[in-house]
Amino acid sequence: MQRADAHPYMPQPVRLERVERLTEKESLFVFPRPQGFGFTPGQFIMVGLAGYGEAPISISSPPSEKDMVELCIRRVGSLTTILHKLRAGDTIWIRGPFGRGFPTERMHGKDILFIAGGIGLVPLRSLIKEVLAEREDYGRLTLLYGVKSPKEILFEEELELWQKAGVDVRLTIDRAYPGWKGNVGVVTTLIPQVDIDEDNSVCCIVGPPVMYKYVILSLGNRSVRGEDIYLSLERKMKCGMGKCGHCQINSIYTCEEGPVFTLQEIRHLPEAI
Amino acid sequence: MASYFVDKKGFLAFLKGVIKKYPLYGTVERDGFPVFKKIEEPEELVLSAKPTHLSPKEFLFPPRELLLRFNLEDGKAEPVVEAREQVIMGLHPCDIHAIGLLDRVFSHGRGDVNYLERRKKTILIGTECLPDEFCFCQSLGTMDADEGFDLFFHELKRGYLVRVGTEKGRRLLKRYTKPEKAAKKHLEEVKAHREKKLKGFTRCLDARKEELPLVYAGSYEHPLWERIGSICYGCGSCNHVCPTCYCFDVRDDVTLDLKEARRYRVWDGCTLEDFAKVAGGHNFRKDRSERLRHRFNRKFRYLADRFDGLFCVGCGRCSRACLVGINITDVTNELIKDAKS
Repeated sequence: MQRADAHPYMPQPVRLERVERLTEKESLFVFPRPQGFGFTPGQFIMVGLAGYGEAPISISSPPSEKDMVELCIRRVGSLTTILHKLRAGDTIWIRGPFGRGFPTERMHGKDILFIAGGIGLVPLRSLIKEVLAEREDYGRLTLLYGVKSPKEILFEEELELWQKAGVDVRLTIDRAYPGWKGNVGVVTTLIPQVDIDEDNSVCCIVGPPVMYKYVILSLGNRSVRGEDIYLSLERKMKCGMGKCGHCQINSIYTCEEGPVFTLQEIRHLPEAI
Repeated sequence: MASYFVDKKGFLAFLKGVIKKYPLYGTVERDGFPVFKKIEEPEELVLSAKPTHLSPKEFLFPPRELLLRFNLEDGKAEPVVEAREQVIMGLHPCDIHAIGLLDRVFSHGRGDVNYLERRKKTILIGTECLPDEFCFCQSLGTMDADEGFDLFFHELKRGYLVRVGTEKGRRLLKRYTKPEKAAKKHLEEVKAHREKKLKGFTRCLDARKEELPLVYAGSYEHPLWERIGSICYGCGSCNHVCPTCYCFDVRDDVTLDLKEARRYRVWDGCTLEDFAKVAGGHNFRKDRSERLRHRFNRKFRYLADRFDGLFCVGCGRCSRACLVGINITDVTNELIKDAKS
């Protein structure tokens, strides 16, 4: 029987350097990157507070950012409500990183179509910034980003920076809103507007559960192959190590085999999408 | 594997010695059924041939187990491993197979130090059994245990035949008894019991165990799931009594004096409503039929590849405990029948 060297549930404390309100529901939590903390875009960590428990949170900064780690967290459950009361100088406890992120090396030389719905932009931001740090390794970059209303747009200033750095950024909102001049409709309405070279493109999709089915249908119409479509799936998680059972999708454990999968890998799993 | 004979006096001496040195958990009769409890006196222990309603998993994977302590005054945290030495006695072959599966689960990937330490410090002692109207271990190859225990006691007319599974078991047996080499007549008595056991089954699965993952794979859309889902209470009893259900929740609480927070794990069950529900309210398995289907598939299919073995050991506990009479052999046989037709 295998012995664990250290206690697998023991988290490490990190002191928040900055907490920045982004929207009504989302804030950015920034802490110094601990020594030896290596990760890939799309991986997650367990974030906890003593007495309040833990929750899985995607890392929002890229691995190329050596000094700081950023987490964009939506206030949605009991733990995240308390997290939103924290300020610079407060301590949070982290474990991880866990899971499998986006394989950037397999995207070299290809066009990348990023598709984000709501806070799906959070893990994609890590990937987008990582790709931009090595811009010459990739082909055309396009971001389709859908939110409910303009008030929910995350990282608005960065979207402009990315646009300037060569990302074709296209936004849409679900319903018309006073003063909004851009596209109106769900994110799939943007897909027919972009030029996709299906032989040399990968798509990276992160959004709410309801979004995947329609995005995949639209991409299928554009002849994008299953092995070129990457998705990050959200599930409940308690351990992060393939044991507690909560994140299981049919036979696979999201925390270990995922959260990033190719469509090919999960197509046969009826519970996945 | 060596076999010894211990007479009844020797057996009591063994129990007495074990109780003195270790906490001993074994079976006693209560309301006509065997239950596991801490044994204080040798005479209390009844090695029962009847199955226990609750599985012995609680001694290796407690229903509530402390993992961490946070000192809220100085902001420091420390890991907790509660494991201590113990002996569990009265395990039936199905339970021994189930513990073997839990060993695989908790040593998978990053090992679970709480389970593994406890397991290392535990001595497992098996005993023979007879099937009741829910047992079907003969269909799953778990009717006999050839390994996975330290000692195994077969009750005979005039004493016990003891099989030794590990060196640790041999030392324990020899420390408190002077076992004789088992004679041919003892081995024949064991064999006769096995014949009797084999004849006692009233339930079986209508397919070989190797076929079951495929049977379940082909039954995902079977109307049976809706049917049993419509009567299921979603109470989690099946998860609770199952010797191989190991899913858990991790929670925090704070002591009343607000000086310490504790992170602990508690048993959870995939048939409970909130099991796959995320913050924000989306439930990935919101219907009881989906949750039941998930549980059955875990037993016969999902975990089979991951851990190289079916996660049903045929103990019948889920059927015995089900408040609405959902029976695992009936369910599986209906799927087998339709898969074959």
